[in-house]
Amino acid sequence: MESGNIPVLIVNEDTIPRAYEKAIREVWEKGVSVRTEYDRPEDPPSKDATVVIIVREPFSQPRFHRSFADGLGGLAEYVMEVVHGAHDYWVKPMEEILKGTKSKDTRWTYTYHGRLFEYRIEDQVINQISLMIDRLSRAGHTRRAQAITWNPKLDPPTDDPPCLQRVWGRLCDNGTGGYVFNMNTHWRSRDLFKAWFENVIALTTLMRKVAEEISKRMQKQVQLGRYVDISDSLHIYGSYFREIEGDPEKGVKSFFEKLESRSFKERTWDSDFVKPYFIDDGVGKGLKPMLEREKEMPEKVRKAIEKELRLMEKDDYEV
Amino acid sequence: MEILKDIADEVEQGHSDTVKELIKRALSQEISAEEILYKGLVVGMDIISEKFKNNECFIPEVLVAAKSMNIGLEIIKPLLAEANVKSQGKVVMGTVKGDLHDIGKNIVAMMLQGAGFEVIDCGADVPKEKFLDAVKNEQADVVGMSALLTTTMLYMKEVIEVLKNEGLRQKVKVIIGGAPVTESYAKTIGADGYAPDAASAVDLTKRLLNS
Repeated sequence: MESGNIPVLIVNEDTIPRAYEKAIREVWEKGVSVRTEYDRPEDPPSKDATVVIIVREPFSQPRFHRSFADGLGGLAEYVMEVVHGAHDYWVKPMEEILKGTKSKDTRWTYTYHGRLFEYRIEDQVINQISLMIDRLSRAGHTRRAQAITWNPKLDPPTDDPPCLQRVWGRLCDNGTGGYVFNMNTHWRSRDLFKAWFENVIALTTLMRKVAEEISKRMQKQVQLGRYVDISDSLHIYGSYFREIEGDPEKGVKSFFEKLESRSFKERTWDSDFVKPYFIDDGVGKGLKPMLEREKEMPEKVRKAIEKELRLMEKDDYEV
Repeated sequence: MEILKDIADEVEQGHSDTVKELIKRALSQEISAEEILYKGLVVGMDIISEKFKNNECFIPEVLVAAKSMNIGLEIIKPLLAEANVKSQGKVVMGTVKGDLHDIGKNIVAMMLQGAGFEVIDCGADVPKEKFLDAVKNEQADVVGMSALLTTTMLYMKEVIEVLKNEGLRQKVKVIIGGAPVTESYAKTIGADGYAPDAASAVDLTKRLLNS
């Protein structure tokens, strides 16, 4: 990058796994080299770009890539964290958050669910997702249906401010009397290789929940449209390069060789395969183990997750 | 034996139902639980662990395979106990106090189990007292600690101190890992070893217990 400009990349694919693979290739090949505060001195600089990713059919199968930094049960728990606030109770008290980097409390400073569903401003707690649903149900064409996460008082002093900044949605006529729900998410910063995929599974699950609620309110069909994901800084950390480049001398494949050595089917899973692992992955994660393990989870949240679990067990729910 | 190879293949593929059926069939053919464990289940996990080490498979696939192994293990556990079959060693594992990140720790635990070790998983946010109790009660051979944060990795030293104070440090090996942890940090706090990834953690555990 001789000009000093951050590259702006556009990825446009039909499904989530296709978009994910393409984005990794694009950022790897065209990203600018930038040193970040997370790189160790011995690591190469990260690859970085501003990236717009369009997923035309976010619920088309196969919906799950096999490359992410957790198991399927862990992914299910993360989805519950974002959609139902499973881990809002892990957030530290406000007086500790306000201490910024001086806080010794290692609990979290935020969750996406907390910011989207219980945004705190002055003395009020605002459910922004509920407001989005209200507004879209009244006027689907609105340009104001959005939810933000950033808190300019709490976030700048911490080491760990939210990456997701904004969720925006809009309804368009589907031409047959119903609607299509379109959703965009805007990210300040993003770990492409180890976070993007899980973020997108959680955010598109939220997308579906919003569409279902609007449909109920309007008594009209609301289909799921394209999902657009915009990151100011989408990066591959230098510490991952060993994994991406492999080590031919030791017989360790590169990430791209690993992809190419398998068919697309062999590097993805569809929702039917994933669902039982979302319920219980057999190695301590998933909705059932989570409910057993997390005794301190607030009752309201527990009930919401139990409901999800019942739907999954009844086969009445596609993950 | 063909059926043991099939068990290994099905574990590797993560086909839990088939693993269950094959184990029942193997038992009906009077193949011992020990053979099913070491020539079937463990071999399957070895294959996937080797693939993981060589960057030929993805993390969730290791965990899917581990589920199959666990399901198989549940069936033969009572028979192994009856036959007094010993594991390769006992490892107490946990993410240290203040840290709720457990993905890396879980993968190491699965791969250790797959290599024939008995793993006592204390979970995440584990205080030193819990590590200590587990080491005492289980007569562990190894303690494995994980941390993802620079702020929480400091707690590893406290765990080592408490093991020393209780006179247990010479009896257990201590291994550590996690994103901010390094070889030199392991030396500084007096751990026996550091592993940068799950496959190396298994190699390290084997090496320490054989030394």
